Amino acid sequence: MSLLEIEAINSFYGDSHILFDVSLHVEQNEVVALLGRNGAGKTTTLRTIMGVIAPGSGTIRLDGKPIQGRPPYEIARMGMQLVPEERAIFGALTVEENLRLAALTAPSAWPLARIYEAFPRLAERRRSGGRSLSGGEQQMLAIARALIRDARIILLDEPFEGLAPLIVRDLVRVSRELAAQGRTIVVVEQNVVAALSFADRVYVLNNGHVVFEGTPDDLHRDPAVMKAHLGV
Amino acid sequence: MPSLPLLLSQAFNGLALGSMLALVSSGLTIILGTLGVLNFAHGALFMLGAYAAYVTLQGSDSFLLALLVGSVFMLLVGVLMERILVRLFYSRPPEDQILVTFGAGIVLVEAVRAIFGGNSQRVPVPSWGEGITQLGFLIYPTYRLELIGIITVTLGVLWVVLYRTSIGLVVRAGIEDAGMVGILGINVRRAFLLVFAIGVVAAGFAGMLYAPIVSVTPDMGGSFLVESFVVIVIGGLGSFPGAVLGGLIAGEIISITSAFDSAYSEVMLYAVMALLLVVRPQGLFGTEGRV
Amino acid sequence: MRRLALLPELALIVALAIMPFVFPYVGGSYDLMERVLDWGLLGLGFDLLFGWTGLLSFGQAAFFGTGGFVAAWLLVNHVIGSVWIALFLGTVAAGLFGLLVGYLAVRRIGIYFAMITLAFGQMAYFLENSPLSAYTGGENGLPGVPVPTIGFGDSAYVIATGLPMYWLLAAFFLAGFIVARRIAHSPFGVVLRAIKENTARAAMIGHAVPQYKLAAFVIAALYAGLAGGLLGVIQSYMPPDAFALDTSAQLVVQTVIGGVGTLIGSTVGAAIWLWLRDNLQMIPQVGALWKLILGVIFVVLVTVLRRGICGEIRYRATRGTRAAAEAAAQADGATRPATELRDVRAMPMPLTAPLIHAAPGLPALRAIDLAKHYGGIRAVDGVSFEVPQNSIHAVIGPNGAGKSTLFKMLLDEVHPTAGEVRLFGQRITGMGATRTAQLGIAKSNQLNQLFMELTVRENLRIAALARRRGSFRVDILRGADSIAEVERQIEAAMTTVELNERAETPVHVLAYGEKRRLEIGIALATGPNVLLLDEPLAGMSPTERISTRALIREIGRSRTLLIVEHDMDAIFDLAERITVLYDGRWLAEGTPEEIQRNQAVQDAYLGGLHEHEPA
Repeated sequence: MSLLEIEAINSFYGDSHILFDVSLHVEQNEVVALLGRNGAGKTTTLRTIMGVIAPGSGTIRLDGKPIQGRPPYEIARMGMQLVPEERAIFGALTVEENLRLAALTAPSAWPLARIYEAFPRLAERRRSGGRSLSGGEQQMLAIARALIRDARIILLDEPFEGLAPLIVRDLVRVSRELAAQGRTIVVVEQNVVAALSFADRVYVLNNGHVVFEGTPDDLHRDPAVMKAHLGV
Repeated sequence: MPSLPLLLSQAFNGLALGSMLALVSSGLTIILGTLGVLNFAHGALFMLGAYAAYVTLQGSDSFLLALLVGSVFMLLVGVLMERILVRLFYSRPPEDQILVTFGAGIVLVEAVRAIFGGNSQRVPVPSWGEGITQLGFLIYPTYRLELIGIITVTLGVLWVVLYRTSIGLVVRAGIEDAGMVGILGINVRRAFLLVFAIGVVAAGFAGMLYAPIVSVTPDMGGSFLVESFVVIVIGGLGSFPGAVLGGLIAGEIISITSAFDSAYSEVMLYAVMALLLVVRPQGLFGTEGRV
Repeated sequence: MRRLALLPELALIVALAIMPFVFPYVGGSYDLMERVLDWGLLGLGFDLLFGWTGLLSFGQAAFFGTGGFVAAWLLVNHVIGSVWIALFLGTVAAGLFGLLVGYLAVRRIGIYFAMITLAFGQMAYFLENSPLSAYTGGENGLPGVPVPTIGFGDSAYVIATGLPMYWLLAAFFLAGFIVARRIAHSPFGVVLRAIKENTARAAMIGHAVPQYKLAAFVIAALYAGLAGGLLGVIQSYMPPDAFALDTSAQLVVQTVIGGVGTLIGSTVGAAIWLWLRDNLQMIPQVGALWKLILGVIFVVLVTVLRRGICGEIRYRATRGTRAAAEAAAQADGATRPATELRDVRAMPMPLTAPLIHAAPGLPALRAIDLAKHYGGIRAVDGVSFEVPQNSIHAVIGPNGAGKSTLFKMLLDEVHPTAGEVRLFGQRITGMGATRTAQLGIAKSNQLNQLFMELTVRENLRIAALARRRGSFRVDILRGADSIAEVERQIEAAMTTVELNERAETPVHVLAYGEKRRLEIGIALATGPNVLLLDEPLAGMSPTERISTRALIREIGRSRTLLIVEHDMDAIFDLAERITVLYDGRWLAEGTPEEIQRNQAVQDAYLGGLHEHEPA
């Protein structure tokens, strides 16, 4: 039984049909990358899994239990956490307050010290207001919020977007460590190269349909797919 | 030009009025900031608190007991109001939210009028507040000084709750992005209930404290409603520090202007609001773009 | 030109005529009826402001009182002898006050607007009470307001209290109703409704929204001023509570109970309120509770029966036609792929107002060094390109490339931090989206921005009226559909996007693909020279994409198109030239073939230009 099982999901934005019968599965300890061009439905998939969007039809199972239609706070308490594309850092709160808020309803929350050990940059900025953080620091804080909850499944939505190459390198390292710790990760990215560097399996979405499933090697061996659905 | 003692005494009156406005407006602003609802019933809730104190004092002599019972009563009112009515309107347009809270305000005022009649009731000044106090060359009613003290403490407690507790953390984050708070595993709707209840208790508590120095009638909340709107416009919508500072400023504007010419005291407040809207519409602490 | 159906006016005349003979039997007096009509007059203006424009004002008492006290003061102090002239001056004074308050209030929306009007209402009340009490009589008001006379000298007819006074109010109310109805059904009224339904879109189409809001506010103030003056005449006395918050509040309650957006609603609400007050008070137990009962009814109505009494009646009366439209939409199925080739020559194209004389070689649109910085973030940095007339140009790039920001700057929906945009050689940067729309550049949005409660035809009319009338015109006396050119443009746009069979269908009933087509249709109906399409194929099924691509190709035959899309098949099929953005900067430009062969572009999409295998 897969850890996360998504079957024939149809998701809408208003009455705009975004996902058409999308099916995926994610195994324990895997890193699964969701690739595709902008507008393909990748973010919608993650938001549907997290319960932010209720799907029109289809089922989502976590540990075999159906979670579609449940509110996000329930799904978060079952061990899943979304790191959204826009990061959604609370600007009016300090770094430390952002972390403490995230830890509130987590039964096995990490102690702050452990988070600061993993992210020394955040330790330096612990009293800074959220809105004074740089893009890279915000992304780190967003990931740290998922980590402090000891989330078993982390959904990363475009974690590398808009960040300088050096920071992307840092974040890839962090993501690899998360994976090595045995967490399950679903990462959505437009930056194919970065995503493939630490993914175990890959799905490609185009216009709301799944058009490819396989390993990164399978994808590299099929340049037609790369060009048709990812490139230009 | 009014005399110095008059100005000073009016300045203190301004503090009393201002701190009361600060408390009422704090409740209004956190409800607005977190829930997005402009509570047009806020003046009626202020009035309800005053009557709660009046009723308790019919059966007991202790003003402190009246404050306690009144606060519990207001908490119940807040919970009921949110659960039965306000909750239904979170996803409706702001005009609908304004109309329903406005209607609730009318119902509260008329219900009180039906039960107690329209005559002004008297709530006596508590025994520990009687008399006057000497402050240098200024003689000032004791209760008003104590009023300022009690409200300062209350606002301090409110500040501690907002900035030093977990629930305060949830409220401040919820004001910014309620959706993300939900994703982080927190049931925001339950937090909404608490925020609304706190706001209602704040308004009612202010009413209880003010009852001894003003005439208690069903319509007493009307002018405070409008004034608290002006305060949160001055302070910035959704900002607790803005409501406190704005309340004090408003209280002083009204009181000091009345030392010069009492006819213009209220008008001056609205003139300041109009000026602010032109020059800095987001107020003292508000965020631009939320206007 | 359809004549405005006169049924409501005739019905009103009949109702007003028989009222004095019926009302006394149901507990009404002349005084009651006059007050109801006075509140109704006040409510006509309020409904145009709230029901039509969507602006909830809690301060109408300020103008009601101003009109009343100015008129009363002039008469009581014998400055003016004629009641008619005094009423006129009072109304004008109220209008001027409305202009002042409105100017401050209409720049804000929703919550702020309600608070500002509330505050100014209170301010006026306090001004009346104290500082100006020498003029207004303070708490006592102004007694001794005379009744009007018709004619001159000794043979003048005095309009005494009782039946003659009733006819006076009835006449004023009827006139007010006729004018209000004409305003509501004029092109001006159409724009007001557009503002209520979707303010941002109305502005982007080319209507000067702040000016329309201010005009509506002043109109409401004028109605209020006249009603205030008449109140003084009815009572022979001008009461201070005309300015009170209770007056503004009562108006809101009456209008909501009677039905917002029905014009006659507030009159019905006033009748209920005043009748209950006058008659319930007689009953011993219930007496004092009449206002409580009304309050509860009000809350229930707002929660459950949002339309109010007259609104509910109207809703049920038109249920038949609505059900038919919805059934028709359902029966045809969700999507009707237009796979048959259409005869291009037979299709009438929306008119392009030739406001711009373009020399042949002049580019239709030119971006020069456009940049947008948000704090430290450079969303767009130094982007330049040209779009030749009548060509189809595409802008592509990975997410975060700055495409939507670029589009917004092309219309001047967002002002650039640096650089400029030239439309047919004219610099349009800094003008704002409303003015650029008037100059002939329009955009269809990635997320539908439609006027949901209105029909397809009404949606297109809002767009077609924009350039034809200019950004602001108070044409309140002509019919909304009375401009032949505009109606032709609507038909042409409807035919182009194939929504003729849905012309009278409310938009919220349409299928998603049809809404998408309407989104393009609205932009098209403004008759633009340059049309920007932001992800026109977003969320479409494969069959819908085929027909929409055909549509885009056809539109491209007669005007300049600029498209942002992620559907690469569509881009390479449609575009003549493609500009590629990456990370806010210009990366490459060329024909579709050139772009496909460009290695830098491939790299940008796949992994970022600076990335090789990360360590």
